[in-house]
Amino acid sequence: MARTLAMFTDVSLCIGCRACQVACKQWNELAPEEPEWTGTYQNHAHFTDKSYRLVRFFEETDDRGQLRYWHMMSDVCKHCAQAGCLEACPTGAIYRTEHGTVNINQDICNGCRYCVSACPFGVVAFNHDTGTATKCTFCNDRIHNGLGPACAKACPTESIKFGFRDDLEKVAQKRVETLQKMGYQNAQLYGADQNGPLGGLNAFFLLMGKPAVYGLPESPTLPQKNVFKDSLLAIGSAILVGLGAVVAFRDRGGKGSA
Amino acid sequence: MEPGLLKSADWPLIIDLYFFLGGLAGGAFLIASIANVLDSQRYRDVVRVGYYVALLAIIPAPLLLIIDLGIPTRFLHMMMVSKPSTAIGMDAITIGPFHFKPFSAMNVGAWALVVFSACAFLAALDTFLEHRGGRSMPALRGIVGIIGSIFGLFIAAYPGVLLGTTARPLFINAHWLGALFLAVGASTGGAAIALILSGLGGRTREAVARVMRVTAFALILQAVFLALFLVAVKLSGSAGISAALTQLVAGPYSLTFWLGAVVIGIVAPLMLQFGGLITKAVPAVTVLASLLVLIGGFLIKYVLIAAGQAGGV
Repeated sequence: MARTLAMFTDVSLCIGCRACQVACKQWNELAPEEPEWTGTYQNHAHFTDKSYRLVRFFEETDDRGQLRYWHMMSDVCKHCAQAGCLEACPTGAIYRTEHGTVNINQDICNGCRYCVSACPFGVVAFNHDTGTATKCTFCNDRIHNGLGPACAKACPTESIKFGFRDDLEKVAQKRVETLQKMGYQNAQLYGADQNGPLGGLNAFFLLMGKPAVYGLPESPTLPQKNVFKDSLLAIGSAILVGLGAVVAFRDRGGKGSA
Repeated sequence: MEPGLLKSADWPLIIDLYFFLGGLAGGAFLIASIANVLDSQRYRDVVRVGYYVALLAIIPAPLLLIIDLGIPTRFLHMMMVSKPSTAIGMDAITIGPFHFKPFSAMNVGAWALVVFSACAFLAALDTFLEHRGGRSMPALRGIVGIIGSIFGLFIAAYPGVLLGTTARPLFINAHWLGALFLAVGASTGGAAIALILSGLGGRTREAVARVMRVTAFALILQAVFLALFLVAVKLSGSAGISAALTQLVAGPYSLTFWLGAVVIGIVAPLMLQFGGLITKAVPAVTVLASLLVLIGGFLIKYVLIAAGQAGGV
């Protein structure tokens, strides 16, 4: 495998301009959508089959209801090192590229939607026109031609950084330390640790508050970890049912006595 | 988990129907096979009806899946594609155009469906030929019975494991769904056999009683696993999971759950059984109990999937 590529989204630098969202739509030729009122500048409320990058807006208030911090965060597929969608996919359409990113082969995807419900972040969306699952491709065509993802390229504040994962980890670590020295005690990395949840996220984040503030799960888990336990319990059930049936059909005192 | 951000597969009713029929087929096949092994002559009605039910229930299965996928050839992608990718998941095996993904319940389920369908066909064919006065092939039926029972139980259980390996709050810490779905498969399989046997007249009275005993036992397991499921979800409770559980037991799905899945599907047929009515195999009561089990068996799968898929995006 080639050196793992990553995107590092630094929320502290995001100005909510949504250039990333537009660049993503343009490069990936994603059709326009009806805007929806979400109560903030955010559009749309969630990832859709036509929005792979999504700038989220959150207003954090203090105890008295006063605005304390206005969070802007450009959200994207996390390209998890242990990806629920990839493991769920029955067709092998979802695969890991040599750069460590997760991609959906649209020719193979059969539209079963298992990946949609298996993503711990609600990223994968179903396209009803093509009947396939879609999500951020990490601009697979661009990264294979020496270009960074369109969103990172368009970001005017370098809130979205693209590069090799090991390099970006160091950049991110330094940035957190700087922010904490500046007094932002809640500044923290999300998904940067390769020993953390899901083996680390190849699109990781610097958050200015707890993950919950951004609607992110504190410690997401790989759903397929349940396979062993769930299957063992099912096997136990099978043995009980089988034994029950044997007992019910075993002869007890000859014909006609049952 | 924050359910507000999670997406749902939004599987429609035909998928619930597939899970129901698959479980019924697996349960019926198991009961027929065990009856066949223990006394193939004495229980020949159970064996014959069981294998026929298994085949008839599994025939629509791939059709329902194909309808859901929209394009018929897409179903094949579950098992084969002309040019598979590499790095498609943990322990995935690719041989030529075929792929096997042990951690994808849907992929394994598709393979199991192929094997089980073949077994259901062979067993029903052998039974049919024997009934028509031809010679049965006990060795073949024995082997097919064992393989088919294993894969039939798999078909009954795997949808539960499949749901348990999604990120949906109601399912991710549930763990008991596979066990529960297997028990539902056995109870509905037994009910379907008993229902048909009851229509065949007095000579099947003893067989009906024995099949109903299996059904009742499976219903008890069903009740136990359902309780364990609720406890497991309750105890694992983050805010999102608690909200999902409330949807099921006290929210918009609670009536279907308590009345349909619990009362109609489990409590009422068990009361009929333990009321001593079934053991005497009064045909009308058997028919009623069997119908209740079948209705409840569908509703329990339907309501769990519907409640699990509700909420979020």
